[in-house]
Amino acid sequence: MTTIDERIPSTLPVTARTPWWSNLRRMVAPLLFMSPASLLVLVFFFTPVLILFGISLTNLSSSTGFRNWEWVGLENYRRIFVHPQSVDVFRNTVKYVLFTLALFNVGLAMVLALLTTHIPRRTGFFFRSLWLLPRITPSVVYIMMWKYMAADAPYGILNQHLFGPLGVEPTNWLPAQAWAFVILTNGFVGASFGMIIFTSAIESIPRDYMIAALVDGCNLLQRIRYVILPMLRWPLLFVTTYQTLSLLTSFEYILLLTEGQFNTEVWSLWAYQRALNNYWGNFQWGFGAALAMILVGVGLLMAVVYMRYFQFNQLVQEPKIEAL
Amino acid sequence: MHPKTRWSVLVALLVVAALVLTACPAQPAAAPAQEAAGEEAAAAPAEEAGPGEEPLEIVVWAQANNVERWRADGPAKAAEMVTDFNVKVVPVNDDSGWGEYKQKFTLAADSGEAPDIVVSGHEDIPVWANAGYITEFDWCRERYPEFDDVIESLWNSATWKGKLWGVPQDTEARPMFFNKKKLAEMGWSQEEIDALPERIKNGEFTLDDMIATAKEAIEKGVVEPGYGYWHRPRKGGDFIQYYAAYGGRLYDPEQDKLVIDREALENWYAFQRRVVEEGITPENYIGTEWSIWHDTVSRGQALFWNGGIWQWADWAVNYVADLGGEEYLFSFVGYALQPSGIPGRPGVTLSHPLVYMITTPEASGKENQDAACAVLAKTTTPEINTLHAVESTHLGILKSQADYPDYANNRFLSDVLYMLDYNFYQPNHVMYGPYFDILWDFMVKAENGEMSPADAANAAIELLQAELADAVLVE
Repeated sequence: MTTIDERIPSTLPVTARTPWWSNLRRMVAPLLFMSPASLLVLVFFFTPVLILFGISLTNLSSSTGFRNWEWVGLENYRRIFVHPQSVDVFRNTVKYVLFTLALFNVGLAMVLALLTTHIPRRTGFFFRSLWLLPRITPSVVYIMMWKYMAADAPYGILNQHLFGPLGVEPTNWLPAQAWAFVILTNGFVGASFGMIIFTSAIESIPRDYMIAALVDGCNLLQRIRYVILPMLRWPLLFVTTYQTLSLLTSFEYILLLTEGQFNTEVWSLWAYQRALNNYWGNFQWGFGAALAMILVGVGLLMAVVYMRYFQFNQLVQEPKIEAL
Repeated sequence: MHPKTRWSVLVALLVVAALVLTACPAQPAAAPAQEAAGEEAAAAPAEEAGPGEEPLEIVVWAQANNVERWRADGPAKAAEMVTDFNVKVVPVNDDSGWGEYKQKFTLAADSGEAPDIVVSGHEDIPVWANAGYITEFDWCRERYPEFDDVIESLWNSATWKGKLWGVPQDTEARPMFFNKKKLAEMGWSQEEIDALPERIKNGEFTLDDMIATAKEAIEKGVVEPGYGYWHRPRKGGDFIQYYAAYGGRLYDPEQDKLVIDREALENWYAFQRRVVEEGITPENYIGTEWSIWHDTVSRGQALFWNGGIWQWADWAVNYVADLGGEEYLFSFVGYALQPSGIPGRPGVTLSHPLVYMITTPEASGKENQDAACAVLAKTTTPEINTLHAVESTHLGILKSQADYPDYANNRFLSDVLYMLDYNFYQPNHVMYGPYFDILWDFMVKAENGEMSPADAANAAIELLQAELADAVLVE
């Protein structure tokens, strides 16, 4: 009786016996498998970035059109670095990302996931559905509701029904507390994303761990601290990374809410307003593209930081728990 | 190579080719003679459609609300009177904001999909002419006698670098409105109330007097605190009137440069902050919803407010129709020039003529310029323009409209006509958009108390110099 090992020669003379096209096929096949995804990335990410970079080196604007523009080298970048507003807008961007992320997109999302997985299943499902409402409401309608909530007396809901009865002087709350509204409006939408990821991760934790913790006498808080949270390390990192990069480039709610007024201009909104939205016309595409390129650079830097220092690549290599 | 591998390679190559082709810019459906210069192409007579042939479609874009629909509907009606071309106008009235509207046009023009005629503010002329989106208009003006009826001074707003680029569509004044009943409650006699527009015109009632009067009205309980004076709640050219009221000038035509006057700017910003500190305008007022603003002023809750004459029709139709519409407004609303900030100097008002512009073959992808010119000639008549002027309460643009019954019989338009003698325009300069945005941003900071007026003025000037470099003169 022969064993498998005996049937297979210890060394395979592949190069001597295999035709050349077979080698080629072996080399080409993985590339072909990867080509659809590679092409998508190439066409929809790298090419736009290259075009954006090219535009950022020009003085292209609606007054030059596509016919009268000129190359200006790094002039747009020089303007950004000496621009009196750059520091303020950058500071605003950090504030916006940090507070929205910490308080809502990760913080509140985690609280919601924990709460709704520790109450009866149907009730938990109901409350999670409620928290999805801001995300599925059209942006314009959603912001309009916030504006009417914040409007000055006698119109605002806050003034009429909340602060009024408490004796607080009525005002137009949106300009008065612009940052609170910027973070609340974005946070209420953003929290649902993390909530869903965390919920599915919590529900995927093997029951054995929970039962073992109960047998060991853990109370609820101890179970969260010593069993659940360590298991959520990877989903937590994923949500933090994804939402950081997402917040860096998002501005639609700020645009609809304040148009960047009341010191709420963030970098992506600044780029949009320079390139595509100007009350009296003359859109400065070249300058706007340079602003957007800075954002691409910051996003890439953040991605590298996450991957290097938080070992993000391990997350995408293999699922650590069943949910992912 | 294995047949299956060959197929895989072939399919992959086809996918690559398809993606590359997809990424290439699309050519306009109707390719124009790209080599022809805009004006040459425009001057060349278009082929006339014979009887029984499909009429030539002329697309007209306008930014308009429901009472301004004649901006695009006017050319559609006028097309019925065009005899030298067989044309049909497709009107597109767009009620999005001005920023979005201009963005749409710019992107359409660069992709060869622009309309044949576009209506927009006169300040767009330098930007769009420089980009090659619009044709010169002198050839068109000379072709049809209808254009001789346009009020001469209005052609200035459509002129850039010594050439005409469009024909005025409408113009307006931006008065200071006041509540006559509230003034009477304060103890003003009917004669004093009636004389207020004249006093403002003569520089005898200034912005300081307005603040003092509004403050007194609040102290006497005639209006609620914060309701003494409501300016425009959002971005718009109206605010430039206060810069002008303090003696600021916008433009140096000899050097073709924008101008910023430091003293006038600081006085303007100080005025914006003062109205809040004196309690006649609410704290955190900028950003108030338009619907709330219209509702408040048109129902007589404010003593003074700054608006545009076109809002009169909007209020009558959309806000106080249940109270009697225009008659209700006449019962308590007075109107005058914007008071000067300097005693003895006459009040001012900003006029912002909209103009019809004909797009180039490159921008529209079509060579309909001659037919578009014919349509505009028939649009520039008292019959058509008065439809828009009366329905939207804009001032007419034709000399003959003063005697045209439908226009002359309109009480409101007749009352405010004199304001054109005291008006000014924003400059036709390619960098006016960024210039205005900077002034606005720091005005908001000054009014909200984020910066002192002096600091805001200094920061605005610093930013103007950084952004506009030698395109701006600081005085």
